[in-house]
Amino acid sequence: MPGMRDVEIRSRSTELLIMCIVFMLSLPVITGYALIILSSFSRDMVTNLDPSAFKPTLTNWILLFHGRTALFAGIRVNIWGIVFNTLIVALGISLLVTITGALTGYAISRMNFHGRKHIMALLILLHAFPGSVLVVGVAFIYRLFMPSYTYVVYYSFFFVILARAAIEIPMATWLMKGFFDMIPWEIEWSAIVDGASRIRVWWKILLPLIKPGLAAVMLFGFLAGWMDLIYVRTFLAEPTLAVFIEYNVHAEYAYLPLVAAAGTLYLLPTILFFLFAQKLIFTISVSGIKG
Amino acid sequence: MVGIKLNKIFFHRLFNNLVEFFRSDASRFLFPALFLVLVFYIIPVIISVYLSFTPLKNWNIDRYAGEIIGFENYYKFFYMLTHDPSVKAVFLTTIVFVALTLTVNVLGGLGLAIATYFMSEKAAGGTQLIWLLPRMTPIAVYSMIWYYFFHPSSIGTLNSILLHLGLIDKPIDFGQGIIPWGAWAIIVFVNGLVGVSYGMIVFTSAISNIPKELVIAARVDGASNWEITRRILIPLLKWHIIYVTTWQLLSLITTYDHLFLLVKWGLVNRDYGTTWSLYIYNTAFQLGETDQGLAAAAGVILVLVSSGLGLLTLKLMGFEKMIKPPRGDI
Amino acid sequence: MVVVRLDRVTKIFKGGVVGVKDISLTIKHGEFMALLGPSGSGKSTTLYLIAGIYKPTSGRIYFDDRDVTNLPPKDRNVGLVFQNWALYPHMKVYENIAFPLRLKKLPEEEIKRRVLDVARMLQIDKLLDRYPWQLSGGQQQRVAIARALVKEPDVLLLDEPLSNLDAILRISVRAELKRLQKKLGITTIYVTHDQAEALAMADRIALINEGRIVQVGTPEEVYNRPATVFVGGFLGNPPMNFLEAEVEDLDKEIFLVIGKYRIRAPERYWSIIRRLKTKRVIIGFRPEDTSIKPESLDTICLPGRVYGIEPLGRENIVVIEIGGELVKIISGRRISLTLDQMVWICPVMEKIILFDPATGKALDRLVVEEKIRAI
Ligand SMILES: Nc1ncnc2c1ncn2[C@@H]1O[C@H](COP(=O)(O)OP(=O)(O)OP(=O)(O)O)[C@@H](O)[C@H]1O
Ligand SMILES: [Mg+2]
Repeated sequence: MPGMRDVEIRSRSTELLIMCIVFMLSLPVITGYALIILSSFSRDMVTNLDPSAFKPTLTNWILLFHGRTALFAGIRVNIWGIVFNTLIVALGISLLVTITGALTGYAISRMNFHGRKHIMALLILLHAFPGSVLVVGVAFIYRLFMPSYTYVVYYSFFFVILARAAIEIPMATWLMKGFFDMIPWEIEWSAIVDGASRIRVWWKILLPLIKPGLAAVMLFGFLAGWMDLIYVRTFLAEPTLAVFIEYNVHAEYAYLPLVAAAGTLYLLPTILFFLFAQKLIFTISVSGIKG
Repeated sequence: MVGIKLNKIFFHRLFNNLVEFFRSDASRFLFPALFLVLVFYIIPVIISVYLSFTPLKNWNIDRYAGEIIGFENYYKFFYMLTHDPSVKAVFLTTIVFVALTLTVNVLGGLGLAIATYFMSEKAAGGTQLIWLLPRMTPIAVYSMIWYYFFHPSSIGTLNSILLHLGLIDKPIDFGQGIIPWGAWAIIVFVNGLVGVSYGMIVFTSAISNIPKELVIAARVDGASNWEITRRILIPLLKWHIIYVTTWQLLSLITTYDHLFLLVKWGLVNRDYGTTWSLYIYNTAFQLGETDQGLAAAAGVILVLVSSGLGLLTLKLMGFEKMIKPPRGDI
Repeated sequence: MVVVRLDRVTKIFKGGVVGVKDISLTIKHGEFMALLGPSGSGKSTTLYLIAGIYKPTSGRIYFDDRDVTNLPPKDRNVGLVFQNWALYPHMKVYENIAFPLRLKKLPEEEIKRRVLDVARMLQIDKLLDRYPWQLSGGQQQRVAIARALVKEPDVLLLDEPLSNLDAILRISVRAELKRLQKKLGITTIYVTHDQAEALAMADRIALINEGRIVQVGTPEEVYNRPATVFVGGFLGNPPMNFLEAEVEDLDKEIFLVIGKYRIRAPERYWSIIRRLKTKRVIIGFRPEDTSIKPESLDTICLPGRVYGIEPLGRENIVVIEIGGELVKIISGRRISLTLDQMVWICPVMEKIILFDPATGKALDRLVVEEKIRAI
């Protein structure tokens, strides 16, 4: 019975009950997100669930794009610069994670080499390293190789991208391994019999076949970089959206609905992915955990 | 003598294996990843271990990093653990946080996976998306959402609901006023929501691999949702439950990013909202005078705990594959 | 024990896939009914509709006079055996069999008694302490049947229960299963795509093709008087031979012209052919109802060339080419034939069936249908 999960004739009442309960449990999440998004379009925060506080306006967004964090005071930030920084980090990590993930995923899926088992075990054990311990050592390396003042900004971007990408490698590798595992061996063998090298086979034959997998890892790496807080706040010489929110949510001078607008802006990729790439999100989440 | 000889053989074999590995095609594929993991994962951990034996403070590397002070940081940490109320609170918080969040994560994930199984496909998809949202949300925004939800003034959503319902007359400061359980409730809630999706996904995909005839045959024999859950789904998910539990246990011991802003913004009490992992970060980077030596020492102890559990997880995962029965089972 | 009646039942799946279309069928009290058809024809769908796993898109299903169309499966008291048997891998055999009774919350003693009874009947009482994966295929299959029988169902539904067994075991289990069914007198519906199985076991067979019932009847009926080309071609090994022919009505006699040759049409068809004004027919004849002769002047015989010979031990299957078409004939081993030898094949006149090429239906059926329409 293809696609069947359960018998078609059954009482719907328990199903309704279950749905009600799950919906009630989901309510805080839905409310929390909705209120922040709504607040970004309102003159006052509506997080108190008071409908009268909702005074629709686009001012927050206009102010935000002008880079003003307060309604009247003169503090200005370059919000586009901040978005740009966030984007650079996210894209850099995405790219790096995709390349390394596609390489390692292939090797682990297809090659039998000395230490394969150990590397697989290592990838899982890495999960057990507490991030905070790691970040102390990483900071030490960061300071050890600190260049002269003029290059610090570039150095910090470079460093954050590499260091943050390293954390995502185990996940990306598992994800890609899953995709490579699904491709029949014969495709590869016939190419190898024809005399192609492994790298060539990987590049010319397998990568085109696992485009959905590459898209998934790219998205996964992008989100990881985009949502990061700790690495950017610790190492990056320039602010990102995360840092902007960190410093403005409880700042006294901050105009809160505007921070809500910044938060909504920051949330935008997540929302877009949820609207347009649900399948991909499920793929990521399902295959990301097969390890 | 024998020891030296064994060592020699061991290193000889290790060396040979390494040479073999670098000769192989695979090393070319693995090089970028191994390089990154080495530089940003393994060496930092070694450095952290080293730093735990130095008096490094305020990142004054030139002055302190070369000095070895033995186990002083460890003594200090254990002294604080037994005498400093803040560190005691952190220790207690870690245990409570891990235990409660783990329970929420595993049971919540299992509950959601089973609940969505009994729903129509559309409703199930929607539910899964909602519960995946926290994991995919930028940490700063996610923290902000709950900052306003639990805000101690009447602007906070929870406070305003309670006020409207007439259950309280003035706003409550949950995270700072009700110590420790208020703070604990918030951090467990906030992290629990992120972690639930992991279990949900693992269990959902495991359930989808169970032959549907098993469920349908039970239905024909008259099983209710509850009986199918109890007698068929849960027994068949046994290994997945163990796996998710150990994996999430590791995650919870090592995680701190979703707590950082809640503490920094003062939503939860500094002592009863900080776990061991966050304590390490804050000690190294945040407090007025940062003490990397102490942070590293606290970190090394945590690494010992978590890598022990990590090895256990590995065992379990291997075991799971080994016992794979010939047919039908998942 | 009940009578199962399907009344114009249609099942259309999401996406418009037709499972079954407009099926009406009555399975009598205590009857062993086989649903036979090729893969994807809708056999399982029919079975699951009766079990209540699928909900009909239209039409009604009755158990006796009870309308069960919208009754959930648990309230229908049916026993169901799946093709893969669906044994619970985490339960021992005893628990597997006891499961339906557990769900009914019967007292432990009664559960034990009934499980042991049914296990003894199926000769699996020594296996009760094992897990399903510790059993052979045949043993697993018995456990599955025991689990379906232990609840003393009104209707027993079996979905290709033997297809996972090897050929020899399958044949021995066939007889056993039939004996058991007759002993218990349980109304049984048995899905299979194996015509030999259906012919051997069933009281009646319902042939399904592309979601529709093509013919219902006893094994003899469906075998000897197939209603359509499909039925003739589906039953029998080798199946019925078909040759297309032109009708030549010479007023006194009717001939069927196949290429250069012609044979006399069986007399009982003359009036039918005239009534239907048939121009072309398909001649159907069974391999075993045909003889091979070196020489013949009989007007029913056709000349052909020996194309191939497949010895089967007791008999031979002779493949013969007639005007570019191949037909298969079962012949005794007494006649010795060589390849490319010219022979005459002579179908038994009474066993010939004529079909209408346009609809594939047997001509006598068409006449009946026309009469019904006329009324
Ligand atoms: N749950 C379903 N959803 C959609 N289409 C289905 C479903 N179940 C069956 N079908 C379709 O309905 C048609 C009949 O399927 P059914 O399973 O009844 O065939 P069958 O006769 O049992 O074949 P087989 O001998 O291969 O088991 C097929 O085309 C099949 O693809
Ligand atoms: Mg079928």
